[in-house]
Amino acid sequence: MFPSIRRGIRTLCSRRIYIFMMVVVPLGCTFFFLNLMHEGLPLKVPVGIVDMDHSSLSRRITRSLNATELIDIAEDLESYNAAMEKIRGGELFGFFYIPAKFQEKALSGRTPTLSFYSNMSIFVPGTLSFKGFKTIAVTTSGGIVETSLTSAGIDEEIAGSLIMPLTTDNHPIGNPWTNYNIYLSQSFLAGLIALLVLTVTSFSICQEMKDRTSVEWLATAHGSMRLALAGKLLPQSVVFIAIGVAIQTVMFRFMHFPLNCSPWHMIFAMVLLVMSCQAFATVVCEMIPNLRLAMSICSLVGILCFSIAGFSFPVDKMYGAVGIFAYIMPIRYYFLIYIDQALNGLPIYYSRFYYIAMLAMMLTPVLGLRRLRRHCLNPVYVP
Amino acid sequence: MKWFRSLFRVWRRETWLVFTDIGVMLFFFGLPLAYPIVYTLIYNPELVTDISTVVVDNSRTAESRELVRTLDATQSIHISGYAANLQEARRAWAEKECYGIIEIPADYAKKVGTGQQATISFYNDMSLLIRFRQYLFALTGVQMHEVTELTARRVATLGGALATQVTGLPVDTHFESLGDPTQGFASFIMPGIVVLILQQSMLLGITMIGGTAAERRRRNRGYDPYGYDAGPTAVLLGKSLCYMMIYIPMSYYILHIVPEMFSLPHTGNVRDYMPFIFVMLLATTFLGQTIQVFVRERETSLLVVVFSSLVFLFLSGLTWPRYAFNRFWLMISDLVPATWGVEGFIRINGNAATLPEISRYYWSLWALTGLYFVTALILRIYMSHTRRSEVPAPPVR
Repeated sequence: MFPSIRRGIRTLCSRRIYIFMMVVVPLGCTFFFLNLMHEGLPLKVPVGIVDMDHSSLSRRITRSLNATELIDIAEDLESYNAAMEKIRGGELFGFFYIPAKFQEKALSGRTPTLSFYSNMSIFVPGTLSFKGFKTIAVTTSGGIVETSLTSAGIDEEIAGSLIMPLTTDNHPIGNPWTNYNIYLSQSFLAGLIALLVLTVTSFSICQEMKDRTSVEWLATAHGSMRLALAGKLLPQSVVFIAIGVAIQTVMFRFMHFPLNCSPWHMIFAMVLLVMSCQAFATVVCEMIPNLRLAMSICSLVGILCFSIAGFSFPVDKMYGAVGIFAYIMPIRYYFLIYIDQALNGLPIYYSRFYYIAMLAMMLTPVLGLRRLRRHCLNPVYVP
Repeated sequence: MKWFRSLFRVWRRETWLVFTDIGVMLFFFGLPLAYPIVYTLIYNPELVTDISTVVVDNSRTAESRELVRTLDATQSIHISGYAANLQEARRAWAEKECYGIIEIPADYAKKVGTGQQATISFYNDMSLLIRFRQYLFALTGVQMHEVTELTARRVATLGGALATQVTGLPVDTHFESLGDPTQGFASFIMPGIVVLILQQSMLLGITMIGGTAAERRRRNRGYDPYGYDAGPTAVLLGKSLCYMMIYIPMSYYILHIVPEMFSLPHTGNVRDYMPFIFVMLLATTFLGQTIQVFVRERETSLLVVVFSSLVFLFLSGLTWPRYAFNRFWLMISDLVPATWGVEGFIRINGNAATLPEISRYYWSLWALTGLYFVTALILRIYMSHTRRSEVPAPPVR
């Protein structure tokens, strides 16, 4: 066993690309993601206002729009067309339109219309500006009712309940700040680790066949494919797990992302993620022992898992024939464990199947060992 | 004239290299042809509707049942069942049988009847923000509906002059969703993704060509049998010409046929987005030829380019808007052709922007084209000097 491991470590140290892909890229990307979305929500969406009324009421609306944290009135525009032009040019993400004679109509009960436009071409600022506009539009109209009610001699308290007879108490579980960084970094950094493990594993295995060193590789392990693979992959596992846990430490410990379970649950999940991804890549190499194709498939899977594992769009709402692929991706189970354990703090009983699935995945390479051995003994390089 | 002839020779050589290399062909043709379809199929259900939700109804009155019916009637919420108490609802949530819990307090009907403010509690799973967003839209809608109804009823019971004066809300609101009117997920993400696919597949192909050439040189002791016998400018432009020849039809497929196939938002004019994407592709050919120099092996291109797609996706501002970047990341993202490509194309595609309206993106792309042309040129001249001067070295692994 030891000669194989020694050889594995030597290979890792022999080329800069390994250090780059296994240490520099994951740590660099961690810094990138966490630093980029440091603020949690991209508040202060630049929007415009088109005030055709120029009354005291419309100015009050403008002021309250500007006072919300969601939006920032970047420009005061003179017409609908001017505002649309700014939207098309990408400078503004939405605008609020106050029609002419707004105050006059509102106070005399002739029901004017406040319009607001959000550019949903980019989801997050679109939604945030919508939320900001909606709030101000509703409170404005409430304020006017309140004024006319109190002026008609109704108690202010009753007037208040008349305007807002029903309110909702929102409790977003686990992420009460609706922090975008927590949501995206958790899934995307884990997905990145999975992608890197997949590509590096397939690269390192098939590289032996390309360089025609696979015979020597097997010989170091006394002809045992199992030992040879273990010797090659275990040093990589150690590095990847160390990096993965380091990333988790940064997120849970230093950034204070929600961790409502024992840290060991997540560390164990990371160990399983790295090793089951290695198993996945090994299976791909066993099926297609061709460096370029194996790596292409692993990259394809690694990139698609960001979409298909349901980080952004729920798997149960995808087409069944598409969504089913989520379940052969190890990252899917890691993601579900993260949701159950770290985010929601459920008892580990509810995540039992996810751990089992990843453990089962680690055993799959056994099936193709003979095939891989045969190809290692007769290495053929197809460019 | 001689220069043009050498340009032509480089173009012919490069085209031959591309079309005889199955790996490069896969990147230049297979990837851009298949990826947009695969991606759209993943996201094509567009909306998250009928999210399973459990109700804890402590009020058990006609009013509370009516509220639940209204909630169930929204597009996003599907009431999958009632739970006796919050504990039971929590268990259903842990078992993934529901993603939200609505708790109606015991005094709900009383408060509604006596004209006090009633409050319902809503608990939701935060694993996916898209579910949270759908819930939020649905709840806001229901709340507005109830408010209008209850207020009208209450004011009417107060009677007299007031009822004629205040009917419902005095101000109407009107919301228009621009760019992606259905607010579907595929409609939002695909226009950006396809531009990224164009850039990344081209980078993959170009770096693979570079890696293969480096391997050939190693095998032949520093000499590339398929090397280009031309000046550096002719080599750069000849290679670009070859890539552009492949990618212009490809980008028409990706930018026009794919949105048409899946009826994604597609309001832009061909005369706006094709010239626009032309510059992005041109900038990408030179960017590819710049990083080509650093690729030593055929297959390492995959290692290096694939993960960068993720970084470029975030740098493009599609998921996290660019105005919220700090200055450092803004500067980095300015250097990526796809950033401007995505920003510009989604405006043309979704908002029907014209080329003059997005001129700042257009000129940024020209600036990048110039920048990467110069870097590629310098690297090429530098490399050809060092290659010529260095003693043929034994192949290194």
